[in-house]
Amino acid sequence: MVIVNFIIKNILTQASITIALISLIGLILQKKKVGEIISGTFKTLLGFLVLSAGSGIIVQSLIYFGKIFTKGFGLQGIVPSIEAINGQAMNNLHLGNEIALTFLAIFIVNIIIARFTKWKYIFLTGQAILWMATMTTVFGKFAGLSGAPLVIVGGIVGGIFAVAMPAIAQPIVRKITGSDDIALGHFCTIGYIFAAGVSKLVGDKTKSTEDIQLPKGFEFLQDTYLSVGLVMIPLYIVTALFAGAKFGSQLSGNVNYVVYAFLQGVQFIVGVYVLLAGVRLLLAEIVPAFRGIALKVVPDAKPALDCPVLFPYAPNAVTIGFVGTTIGSVIAMFVLPMFGLAMILPGMLTNFFAGGTAGVFANAAGGRRGAIISTIAHGFFITLLPALLVISFNKMGFINATATDVDTVTAALLYAWIITPILKAL
Amino acid sequence: MFFKKNKKKETSSMANGEDTRKLDKRELIDEAEDLINTIDSVSGDERIEVLNRIGSLYFEANKIDDAIKYYEISISENKSLGKAYTELVKLYNIKRKEAISKKDDESMKQYMEKIDRLLQLSKDVIRGRG
Repeated sequence: MVIVNFIIKNILTQASITIALISLIGLILQKKKVGEIISGTFKTLLGFLVLSAGSGIIVQSLIYFGKIFTKGFGLQGIVPSIEAINGQAMNNLHLGNEIALTFLAIFIVNIIIARFTKWKYIFLTGQAILWMATMTTVFGKFAGLSGAPLVIVGGIVGGIFAVAMPAIAQPIVRKITGSDDIALGHFCTIGYIFAAGVSKLVGDKTKSTEDIQLPKGFEFLQDTYLSVGLVMIPLYIVTALFAGAKFGSQLSGNVNYVVYAFLQGVQFIVGVYVLLAGVRLLLAEIVPAFRGIALKVVPDAKPALDCPVLFPYAPNAVTIGFVGTTIGSVIAMFVLPMFGLAMILPGMLTNFFAGGTAGVFANAAGGRRGAIISTIAHGFFITLLPALLVISFNKMGFINATATDVDTVTAALLYAWIITPILKAL
Repeated sequence: MFFKKNKKKETSSMANGEDTRKLDKRELIDEAEDLINTIDSVSGDERIEVLNRIGSLYFEANKIDDAIKYYEISISENKSLGKAYTELVKLYNIKRKEAISKKDDESMKQYMEKIDRLLQLSKDVIRGRG
């Protein structure tokens, strides 16, 4: 009994060990060799700990940024970063264990729904499931759930999203790809449907984005970290300048306050770099293991793949979507504070991936005119939804960050607006 | 009952179309083989077009492995987001399904990894890294 108690209290409560055990089970079920099982399990454990280290770096940088932003602009400046939310939830709120188990529960519920209903979608974008597990866990906890109910409700909500989002996108995906073989597995789908809807209203389907000549490639987006840096570093420096030398120097110690701001901006990128390296390590073993199982259990599955799968069908629309969404998010950054909401800074990576895909959807629904207008609306929309979450995040102790992917935000709002009031009424 | 009726109809129409389809298939393969003989004499964009055409003919003739072979050559020589890419996604998915029905785990894994690589290629090309 003492041993069992020791295991429960000291081992199974450690998130890194829980997630390594999930990986272990996946590898055993796949009948891997002993060597592969050991190395896969260890890499998963390592991945989780690297992720935690990255999140620590991000939090430090965001604490500094929050202080200078409030001083400089008299507003709360919020960085949209699902990575930062995940990191803070795991480290500061100690929800890593629940997130790991919810991640597994979402996989299982997804497989069950696909196996027994006509919706055969298997969501294969592991990172997106991790973000969904993060949001359902954080907001489930906030709603008053804990232990097994927290994980089960999160699994059900996340699992339903994992099937429903590819399903609602499929009519348009079918139109884009000309076949029904593959589906879209990206938790920004509500934004895509919104963009397609607006595009249909204002657009003209006969003139496609692909008939125009646009410059190819985004050189500045070639490197993920360079593109984050291009936004974050100037933002830190400008904010420090607004906060002033006197205030800035209080935080910077012996270092010049502008140089310090520059270095803190770089630290943010270092944090994202480390965190994402951890995520990659963490998911490298789990995702192949579980997708192998899922595709075997649901033989006629439709694999729901990450959003770049749609880029080749309309590359110009991707460019238009990125630019339009960025314009919309900048407009929202200035407009939302007028309505008492927080100032959400534009997230370039979300604008690229979600904006690009929204462009492809919008082009399919309303051609080039539709794509231009609706992706600006999309940029506004995907900034508005995270802004609505800021109050909840603040109450929970999150530091200057909000989530990005709109489907995970919608799941969170579902908890905040429906599940929480019901639970409180009971 | 309705299902039975429909099924019967389908089978009879399939039987009628079977011969023409076989004939078409032969023609498609012949055309592809003719084009294969010309590959070495062309270069640049023209070569990519020929490779894609061969892939497309084989795909139409339901010769999945051959179609994959030529589309893969095309995409390795010209990393772009054209027909070779979109057709390869479909072809890999067909092979993945086949592997599942044959309970061939290794092949299934292999084709899922090939799809992963295509996703990465798509990201890279759009960002100008292709």
